[in-house]
Parts: sequence; structure tokens; C-alpha cells
Amino acid sequence: MSGGEGQVVQGGVQPRPAAGMRLPRLYLAGVVSVLGGLLLWEVVSRFLVANALFLAAPSQIFTAIAALAKSGELWRHMSISGIEFALGYAIASVLGVVIGFAMAESATMKRVLQPWISGLYATPTIALAPLFILWLGIGIWSKVLVVIFLVLFPVTINTEAGLRTTSERLIEMLRSFGATPRQIFFKVSLPSAVPFILAGLKLGIGRGLIGVVVAELFGSRAGLGRLIAQAADAFNMPELFAGVVVLAVAGITLTAGFGWLENRLVPWTKD
Amino acid sequence: MARKLQVSHLGKTFGELRALQDINLAVERGEFIALVGPSGCGKTTFLRIVAGLEPASSGEVTLDGRAVRGPGGDRGFVFQSDNLLPWRTVFANAIIGREVAGRVGPAERQRTMELLKLVGLEGFEHYHPRQLSGGMRQRVNLARALAIDPEILLMDEPFSSLDAQTREIMQTELMRIWEDGRKTVLFVTHQIDEAVFLADRVLVFARRPGRLRESVVIELPRPRTLAIKRTAEFVRYVDHIWRLIEDDVRASVIEEKV
Repeated sequence: MSGGEGQVVQGGVQPRPAAGMRLPRLYLAGVVSVLGGLLLWEVVSRFLVANALFLAAPSQIFTAIAALAKSGELWRHMSISGIEFALGYAIASVLGVVIGFAMAESATMKRVLQPWISGLYATPTIALAPLFILWLGIGIWSKVLVVIFLVLFPVTINTEAGLRTTSERLIEMLRSFGATPRQIFFKVSLPSAVPFILAGLKLGIGRGLIGVVVAELFGSRAGLGRLIAQAADAFNMPELFAGVVVLAVAGITLTAGFGWLENRLVPWTKD
Repeated sequence: MARKLQVSHLGKTFGELRALQDINLAVERGEFIALVGPSGCGKTTFLRIVAGLEPASSGEVTLDGRAVRGPGGDRGFVFQSDNLLPWRTVFANAIIGREVAGRVGPAERQRTMELLKLVGLEGFEHYHPRQLSGGMRQRVNLARALAIDPEILLMDEPFSSLDAQTREIMQTELMRIWEDGRKTVLFVTHQIDEAVFLADRVLVFARRPGRLRESVVIELPRPRTLAIKRTAEFVRYVDHIWRLIEDDVRASVIEEKV
């Protein structure tokens, strides 16, 4: 008996290494790599290409971004693209989770929807953007629709897969207590599907951002895609790169934010 | 004495395979029964039928005079793998049976806390399963089954995934906990010495078809300590049971190789 208690204490939780202390070292290689890459880019574009028509140096891009920010142009384009992305992403997330649930719950529903979901997921629906613009005009809604089409399917597929692959052993554990199907759904299936749903939503970020920009390239009054198209027409490479860099930063920020959210919401999937 | 569990002419077939044939058994209140036998003798199937997780093909199981038709809160099942929900804390895992029954008041919370203390997890209530060792997770598994205050405890090789030392400690812990409440227990195990150490009675199963070969009453004094495993009497019981299943075990080993 006393041996047992001792076992609990000794076999217990190992203190985790202080994460904060090791971070700078972990990131050192990455930081050096990025800075080195930027330096190389600067040198190549200044001394080897030396033609602002073909390549802009990082310093020129930075200057362009600063100028755009100062004139207020950057915020205008960013807010339009941001609204398009946010609307499309929100609608697609809710719709995707709902459809995923329906497919997991009803075999008929799954048989009916599966060919469409799989087919449209594999289709480069972004190519339909001109059609959507024809239907909905060059305002924000045609872009919202493109984003919905790109984000919806990974969310749906992941939600359905997450609910379907719930561990049989965990379901049986709950069943042994006489749980109803409803209790099994809310206490086991749903929580164990959350990591899958989050992974689908994460996948949707990159796809949604691409959707916004490409749809804007096809026809729009404002937005980062518009900014890039204008810059390309004027052969203004620093401004073109400025748009791309802003998009890249947005993508990285959103994905990192999502990673943080995952750590908070589903920590058990991390180790 | 009150008869707790009654099994009569129980049979189970999976397609062509006769997993269990004509099992008859009566278990008294507070009895600790161990089930041993070679792989494929149907001992786990038997336990699952008593739990209501699997329907019987023929015959009947009654608990306190009521026929078993499905799972219920009068039986607590301790699984071979701990089956803890990774997103729940130790406490939230232990109380889930009460939650399913729809009763989680202060009394149930209090009772669950006491059980966690009983199984040696006091202070670990807010830990998550991934922070626990295998032995500790099995303690939660046990507390979870006890938390519904079942009439009978059904244990399916609960210590088989633990290392040898932890397993011995868990055996003595289980004895201590059992002495505390004297629940009726059915305990399936591969290990003959584990069965003899824990049980009042060891049911030896045979295979093809799965059936009850012999019921060995273990008349070792209680409370038992690990030292009892080195006594001549203990060894005699183990030898006797081993001889009963030896041929079957050899046959099953050869079959698994082919």
C-alpha cells in the first residue's frame, strides 16, 4: 500500500523544461536564414539584375510599403480584402461544419453529398471567378463567393472525417455506462472531432487568401489583388512586391494565430 | 447468502465459431472471481456479455434477479486500455459515469473525490491523462468504474499493459480498495498468479468451444500480501491451474504461429 503511494509520487508528472529559455536558440537558425536570404536578394537585385523592371530589392519594397501606408492606399486595399476574406471564411466555416455534421450523422446525406464535395474540392474552382464576377458584379460578393468555394470543402471533409474516426474504444467506454447516442455524440464524438475541424479551418486560411487575391485580379475596384494588378500594369515592381509581402505577412500571422488557438483548445493532440 | 450474479446455459456464437458454450455460474455478493484461460477461450466475450456490451446467443445472465439486456449503471467496467478522454481532467474522467446517469450534484462530486483519494490520486484531480503514467491512468480507469457505485465490477485484464513491478503494486492496491467496499468482482486475466493472488475463486476456461473447465476455490487467508506468492500453498494453486490449461495454451500458441 505504501509502496503504491510512493509509485504515484515518483511515477508522476515530470516538470516540463522552461520553454521560454530555449526559444531564442530554437529560432536562431531560422532568423539567420531569413536575414541571409534578404541580404542575398538585396545584393542580387542591386548589383546583378540592377533593373527595377524585373526585380525589386527588399529595401525598395519596404520603401514602397511605407509610402502606401502613408498615403492611406494600403489600408483601403487591406480593409476591402480583409472584409471579403472574413465574410467568405466565416460563412464557409459555419456551412462546412454543418454539412460535415450532416454527412457524419446520415449515411444517405453522405452518399448524396460526397461526389459533389470530393469533385468540387479537387476542381480548381478559382477558375470560375470570372463567372462569379459576371453574376455578382465586381464588388465584394463575387470574391466572397470564391472564398466560400475554396474554404468550404476542406472544412466539410475534415469535420466529417473527425466525427467518423472517433475511437471505437472511447465510444464503448461511454456505452458501458448506458450512454445514449446523443450523449456519445456530445461527450466523445464532438470533442474528438475538434482537432480535425481546426485543421480544416487552418487549411482554409491559405486557400481563402489566394481566392481573394486571384478573384480581385480578375476584376475589382479595390483590394490587395487590385493593388498588385495596378502595379503590374504600371511595371511598378516595388509596389507589386509590396502587395505580395503584405499578403504573405497576413497569411503567416493568421496561421500562427491559429496554431496558438490549437494549443489552447486541443493541447492533447500536441504530444 | 444473497446471490448476486446468475448465469445459466449461456452460449455465444460468432457466425460458425462457437465462442462460448453452456456456461453456468452463480456468484455470491462480495465474491472476487477471477477468470483465466488460453487466448480465444471466450473469457473476455463472457465479461462483455455480462456488461451488456455484447448480446448472448443463448441462455441468460441475471444480476440481482434482473435479466441483463444491455449496458447499465449497475455494472462498472474497467477496460484493458484505460480509454480516458484526453481532453478531460482526471476528475472529469472519473465522474463521467455519473454524468451519463444525469446526476452530478455535490454528493457525487464529493464521492468521486473520495474515490480518487482511495485509488491514490489525491492532488492529481486537475491533471490531464497525458500527464500521467500508465499505472496512474489505470487508477483513474478503476475510479471511474467505482464512481457509479456499481453492484458488480467487471475488470478486463486491467493490468496487462503495465510493467511487472507496477502490476504487482496495482494488485495490492486493488486488494486494499476491494477490502474497503467488498464489491462483487469479475476479473479477467492471462496471469495465473494474479488470479490466485486476488480471487476467492478462479474460473478456468477451456477453448474450442469456450467453456468452463473448473472452478478452483482459493482458500488463502485475507488480507493477502505479496509475500503470499512465495508460499507453497500459493504455488500449488498456480501449478494446479497451469496444468488445467497447459495443453490448451500450447495448442493456441501453435495456432497463432501458423
